Parts: sequence; structure tokens; C-alpha cells
Amino acid sequence: MTSPPVTGSAEVPQRLGGPGPARFRPRRTPPAGTVRPKRRGPLAYWRQYLAISPFYLIFAAFSFFPVFYSLYLAFQRWDGMGTMQFVGLQQFRFLWSDPVFWLSIRNTLVIWVLSTVPTLFGALMLATLLHSVRRFKGFYRIALYVPNVTSIVAVAIFFGAVFSNNFGLVNAILGMVGISPVPWLSNPWLIKVVIAVLMTWQWTGYNMIIYLAGLQAIPTSIYEAAKMDGAGAIRTFFQITIPIMRPIILFTVIISTINGLQSFSEPQVLFASNAANANLGGPGQAGLTTLLYFYQSAFLNNDYGYGAAIVWAFFVLIIILVAVNWRITTRGRKA
Amino acid sequence: MDLSRRGFLQAAALTAAASGLTVACGGSSGSGGTKNGKNLTLWYWGGALSEKVVAEAKTHFGSEIKLTTASIGGDFKQKLTTTIAAGSSVPDITGIKGEDIASFLPNADRFLDLNDLGFKNLSSQYLDWKTKLAQTKDGKQIGFPIDIGPTALFYREDFFAKAGVDTDPAKVAALVKTWDDYFQLGTELQKKNPGTYLVNNIGSVFNIAVGQGTQRFIDKNNHFIGDQDHIHAAWTTAVRPYTLGLDAKINDNTWNAAIGKTLLTELGAAWHALDIEQAAPQTKGKWRVCANPAGPANQGGSYLALPKQCRNPEEAFKIISWILSPTNDARGFTDAAIFPAAPAAYTMPAMTGPDAFFGGQKIIEVFGPAAKAIPASYEAPADAAVMAPYMTELTNIEAKGKKPDDAWKDAVSQAKQIARRQGVS
Repeated sequence: MTSPPVTGSAEVPQRLGGPGPARFRPRRTPPAGTVRPKRRGPLAYWRQYLAISPFYLIFAAFSFFPVFYSLYLAFQRWDGMGTMQFVGLQQFRFLWSDPVFWLSIRNTLVIWVLSTVPTLFGALMLATLLHSVRRFKGFYRIALYVPNVTSIVAVAIFFGAVFSNNFGLVNAILGMVGISPVPWLSNPWLIKVVIAVLMTWQWTGYNMIIYLAGLQAIPTSIYEAAKMDGAGAIRTFFQITIPIMRPIILFTVIISTINGLQSFSEPQVLFASNAANANLGGPGQAGLTTLLYFYQSAFLNNDYGYGAAIVWAFFVLIIILVAVNWRITTRGRKA
Repeated sequence: MDLSRRGFLQAAALTAAASGLTVACGGSSGSGGTKNGKNLTLWYWGGALSEKVVAEAKTHFGSEIKLTTASIGGDFKQKLTTTIAAGSSVPDITGIKGEDIASFLPNADRFLDLNDLGFKNLSSQYLDWKTKLAQTKDGKQIGFPIDIGPTALFYREDFFAKAGVDTDPAKVAALVKTWDDYFQLGTELQKKNPGTYLVNNIGSVFNIAVGQGTQRFIDKNNHFIGDQDHIHAAWTTAVRPYTLGLDAKINDNTWNAAIGKTLLTELGAAWHALDIEQAAPQTKGKWRVCANPAGPANQGGSYLALPKQCRNPEEAFKIISWILSPTNDARGFTDAAIFPAAPAAYTMPAMTGPDAFFGGQKIIEVFGPAAKAIPASYEAPADAAVMAPYMTELTNIEAKGKKPDDAWKDAVSQAKQIARRQGVS
């Protein structure tokens, strides 16, 4: 692999002290007149670099290198063992005209919306409730956080059994109150709902803990002042809690976007026993998320180049969505 | 501490260089060296071989070779591909699943030609069509057949009796000579046994119907033929039980609950008997098995192969030809329900005994002739990938009520795209 270009040594200090827009000027520029301390090159800190190097070495070998290698692969045709063949943009052209790819994008987005919205609303409500709880605080926090640290495979198998069409617990309960069985795992929309419910169940507690930390950081004096001004509980929540929590909400929205779009294990495990078409996202491919399609293309069909093209196209999509989310969530703050 | 931009870039360059070094080191080991190593490793997966035979092989060859075995879990093909691509820590002997063997053939140079090691003299002991599936066009043999999966029709004797059908396997086989006969019988059976179905899903019918032919989705000249008559006929056959209401539409693990209750018959390979037995132990004695409608097909069945890096090819070949000798292959049937690829095994006592689960039927009398009657077909490396959209569209018919004609069109157009991506013209 090629190393990133190293900027010439003369260029950097000039840029640091140069004019440029005021917003970007580093604050640590010493005021005029003071003697600049002698700069020590980074090599003088080799011990410190050595101390933190294990993380970076492992990161470079197992994340940095594979990420860029996959970009290289996106322009090749490769079956994983034989010789690679450079095909230019052909993989991306295939991608553009592949209806299954677009179906997987639609599936992913629907599942993401169906899971993220309830997750974040639920987390904020639970955090507010938990913030005012007096007894058994630790118990509630642990109970709500446990789903997040439970093995996703175990959870997916459990959900698969509970929502099973013919012999599942949910349909058994519905049957007792006289509702005919619901085809949870074969109707295209219900498949997405089941996956979204699973993800909501798993991620609500995680976001709740983050919100709770944010809530606890708000000084009580602000609430007291609001109370004196005659604000009710709901008004306080929307006009004080939410604005102060905005950076935290922004953080959770972005993390949820990244996590929610990467749904893979859930549909993979839920429909893995589907012998006729394992790893294809169940009936009608309704649970085929983009990452699952990537997995299927690369690792089952041995089409590594196409798999790489799928994930890079998907990367662009995630970037766009994060940017949109950022704009929406920060809107009005800078005005 | 403040990190200047220059410092950051230097650090990044250092890291990149270091990672390059790490990667470079990984590739250098593993090849070359002498070819008379004393330590051999064998990779397989649970149920691929008889554990007893493998354990005996260790002691049998113990004086010359130390055989280390590893039962690899998870996605076996993926792990093997990665290891072979990396070129280090490659096993000396490895299993390859029957459904994956075709995708390894384009990289036959990563494996040793077993013909050079003496397979030529042994090949007549194994089923010809099975051997050929692990052979390149220029005759290089990369896989030594372990087992096969001849298909047959499993049926519920009690449901048949209730409908007044003679339940003797030979009689039933005569009744279901063609697919049409089979579906017709199914309609009658269903009338007498309300709430039951003939087939679990139509994908399984399609799979077998395709396997009954000599051509699949891609021909020997690397042309896509998945839109031709032989595939369309298999498709039409598969859709029949759906239109007749004989399809249980089971595409998930609820099969486990349905198999003992609502399914009249089950199409499957010899090893499928064990699945039925495990999922529905309470139906012991109620099942029988007879010849597959319209002839047998093959499903699954694996190989042993020697990667190029094998440290002692001669001894390794001795070990695999011992493990897979007809006698030991027959023991695999008793221990792990793997159906031998060596016909000589079919007459051995290990296989000719009556099976209590099938009411004392000697099931080898059905599977033995089926194994020999399976047609030799050409399976292209991309075959499995190209077949996938057909299976998907069949489940679309079942799950969404999609019109079979529309589903066929979509399946063909998607299969064509996948074929093009995989370099098929």
C-alpha cells in the first residue's frame, strides 16, 4: 500500500501562522513578542508513541489496511483465491442496474427508520422517567442496559422463535384472544417490523444511559428557575431539557444512524435456517439489508470485487445521511 | 500534548509503513520446504467424517505421521478460502463441501492433482459422476469423494394407509413414477388427511428437478442456459404443488414442528433421514422411503482435498485413501449417517441392516440403486450463485403470492445479471 503524502516541513509552520480565516487560526499561537520555545520533533517523543503504538498497529493492520484494500478490490474482479482482474468501473455499473441492490437499500432505510425513531424517543422518555426515580435506580439501569450486551445471535434466535409464523409465542397469545395467526416472518412489512423491534429492544437501553448522563449534568438551579417562572413539566422538558441536551441528542442520532444502517446479524440469523435461500433475507428478500447483500455477494458467491463495490456505495450513502441528520439536528442553533 | 499537523502526518506515515511491514511478513512463510513432513493437519467439519475412523487413522498411521485433526465450525468454505489465499497455516488435508467444490475448481492449481498420487488406480471404486464433479476440464482431480446425497421420497406410512394407498415402498414407487403421478397422489392423500401437505416448499422440488437433468444453469462453454427449456420445465414442475394447494410453504425452522404433523411426504437426500429423525422422534416407525419421482438427484456430499502446501503428499494420500476406503466409508454411514460414494460399501453389513425409524425397512435398497442412477451433470463455478434468484423467486411466490410467470421472468433476468458479474457470457 502507498503511504499518505508527507507534507513538506517548510509548509506547515507557514500555514499555522499564516493569515487564513480567523475562525481557523489555532488558539495556541503565542502572542507576538514572546520567545517561541524550541520545537522538539515528534521523534523526541518516541517513547510515548511506542507506548500507544499497539492500538495503532492493530488498527492499521485490521481496520485501516482492509478498508482501503476493499476500495482497491472494488475495481477488480476476484474470487478470493485466483488472480485479480482489473475491471475499472464495471462493478459500479453492475451495481447501478442491479434491482436487488436497490431493494437492499430500501430495506435498510425502512428498517433504520422503523428502529431508530422509537429507539431514540423511547430512550429519552425512559431516561426522563429514570431520572426522577428514587428507589432501585441501579436495578432499572442494569435491567434496561442488559439487552445491549446480550449476544445478538442469541437474541435473534429468540425473536425468531417468539415471532415464528406457525408455532410462535406471539401468535399463540394472539390466538388466545381470537386473532388469527399473523405471518410475522413471511410478510415483507412484518419482517421489517420484527427486525426493527429487535433492534429497538437492543439499543433503547444504550441510548437511555447516554441521555441519563446528559440529564444528570443539567444543574437543578435551571429547573428551579423555570419552576419559579411558572413553567410546567412538559414545557420544562421541551424548552429546557431538549435544548440543553441537543449535543447529546446529536451524538445519539449519528451513532444510531451508523449502527442502524449496519443491520446485518439480525436478518442473517433470523433467516439463516431458511434452507432454500440462506442469507438472502427471508421470503421476498424483505429482510435483505445492504450489508447482508454484501456478505452474500462477497463471501457466498465469491464475488469480492462486487461485494467491495456494494460497501463503498453504501459508505457514500451513510455519509450523506449523517450529513442530513447533522443539518436537521443542529438547525436553528447557529442562527 | 499538542499534536501538530506535521507530527500527525509523520505518525500516520510511520503507522502505514509499519502495517505494510506486518502484511509483508505474513505472506512469506508457508510454502517450499521438504515434502516429507511428519506432522499433518486435517480440517473437516462436524459430521463430515466418522469420528471413530478419524481417531483410528491417527493410531493406524501413528508410527510414521502425527495426524492433528481440527473440526472447524462456522462457514467452512470461507475459512478455507481465506487460509488458502493467505498461503500460511494451510491444512495438509482438508474437507470441501459438495456444494462448494465447483467454486474451487477455477483455482485447481492451489491443490494437488490426486491422479498423480495414485487416485487413478482407485477411481473405479467410486461413483463416476461424483468423481467427475471434482475434476477440472483438463482432467485434474482435486477432490477425493467422501459421501453423496442421493435423493428419495420419504413418506408417512400412516397417512398413506388412511387414504387407502398400498404402503409398500415398491408399490408406492410404482405409483409416483412421474412428478404428475406424485402430485395427483398428493391431491388424493390430502382429501383423506385434511390439513396436511405434500411438500414442505416448492424450492426443494425445484432443486431436485434441476438435479435430475444433465444440464444446469451454465454450460461447459461458460454460457448462461438458465432461461432454457430444461430449467423452465423444472420450474413448472416446482410450481405445480403450489397451484394445487399441496405446498406447505415452510421456509423457516418451523419445519421442525411441521415434519411430524402436517407433512405427508418429504423429498430429500439420504442424510435428510437424520434430520427427520431428530426433528420428529415421536414418528419413529411411521416413515418409509421409496424412489424419487422421475428419478434421483444428488444433494450435497463432500470431498477431501490436498492443498498445494501439503507437507507430505504421499503419506497424506495414503491417509485419505485409508479413511475413505469402501470399508471405512461404510462405517461412516453407521456413525454419522454419511452415505458412501463407494458402491462396494452398499452391500456391507453396516449398510444393509433394517432401520427402525423406517419401520424396519432396509433403506439401502432404495438409496443404493438411486446412487448409481444419478446423472452426471456439469456444475459451473458460478452455478450456486446463479441458482439463488430462482430459489428467491420461488419463495416470493409462496410468501407474497407473486404470479409464477412474473417470478420466472424476474428470476431469469436476475440470474443473467449474476452470471454476467461472474464472468459468464
